[in-house]
Amino acid sequence: MHAEFDRMKDDAALAAALRAMPDAAPPHDGWPALAARIARRRRMRAMLRVGVPAALAAGVALAAALPHLWPARAPSAPRVAQQENVSASTAADVGVLRAQSRRLQAWVRTLEHDGAPLSGDALAGAVAVQDRIGLVDLQLSAATDPAARASLWQERNLLLQQLGLLHLQPYSVAEHARPTRGETTIL
Amino acid sequence: MLHPSRVEPSSSFRQEVEPELVAGLQRGDLAAFERVYRQFERAAWTLALRLTGRADVAQEVVQDAMLKAYERARQYRGDAPFPAWLRKLVINEALMRLRHDRMHVFEVFTDTEPDADAAEPWTQADATALDRALNRLPDTARAVLWLYHVEGCTHVEIAEQFGRTVSFSKSQLARATRRLRELLRTQSETTPCTLNSIA
Repeated sequence: MHAEFDRMKDDAALAAALRAMPDAAPPHDGWPALAARIARRRRMRAMLRVGVPAALAAGVALAAALPHLWPARAPSAPRVAQQENVSASTAADVGVLRAQSRRLQAWVRTLEHDGAPLSGDALAGAVAVQDRIGLVDLQLSAATDPAARASLWQERNLLLQQLGLLHLQPYSVAEHARPTRGETTIL
Repeated sequence: MLHPSRVEPSSSFRQEVEPELVAGLQRGDLAAFERVYRQFERAAWTLALRLTGRADVAQEVVQDAMLKAYERARQYRGDAPFPAWLRKLVINEALMRLRHDRMHVFEVFTDTEPDADAAEPWTQADATALDRALNRLPDTARAVLWLYHVEGCTHVEIAEQFGRTVSFSKSQLARATRRLRELLRTQSETTPCTLNSIA
């Protein structure tokens, strides 16, 4: 009985001593960093709303353009005249694809700059995609045939889209994550 | 789960918050959030620091918890005081960090029986000595001690937070108390007397 009473008295004394400790002062004002973080996340969310549909639309457009990129699949006479047309059309396609590549590159750069750090898996994926883009760039520097160049630009654009989507993944997960019943209770 | 329905009288989170401020926060008003942040930054920092024991981790905990408060403000239904809800976010974030970083090492304590006649050292220790001793406790022990004595959590609540049993919470608390006693006694024995050193 006595021991229990003593223990409770000690507990109360310890609690009082701990509670009497003054608050610690934060080393610096954390608001600017937090405000910047909120602004970044808002930008990313806006980008997620616009960027993903845009990337998907670009993918659909590329798929629709595929038949035009390989028009010589069913050759017919007069062969020479058709080849000339194909070259002109492919050169135009290359121009379109290059412009699209520039836009995608700028988009990816923004995501890399403003986005959340990638997880280990996503980072490994991003490095692999960047390697493939480097390889495509190497092939592009050597390719002279317009059809081959168009094909390479198309591949480059698809890889850039993959890279962009990797950077958007954490936001996509966060956007769609809903707290479980337990979490709602905790928070 | 810890129930945020109460804020212990000792907690630094025991502050009044203007209802318009909470309403503004729930609308996503950044200016309202800044006022909330500034009002509770010190309380959140103290709690995070006491639970994690490291300034760099505490800083991340405060930032992450406050960000969640801003982004989840709409989930706050007003069935508990707002400061209690905010305090819960900080506790959850700090304990999650302890679990994630595996900061909690279950140290084997050398259990010594307290001297029944001697006064408990925390009745005489100043805040600096207490702070120093707290920082030398293993992370889990310190967190349990703080949650129990200062934040007023029950053993059941602490056990749930750590995903362990009630016995775990009780034994961590008992051991933390003993270790704190040892540390404070050692400190008082080894701290040189200023007057003697001057002479």
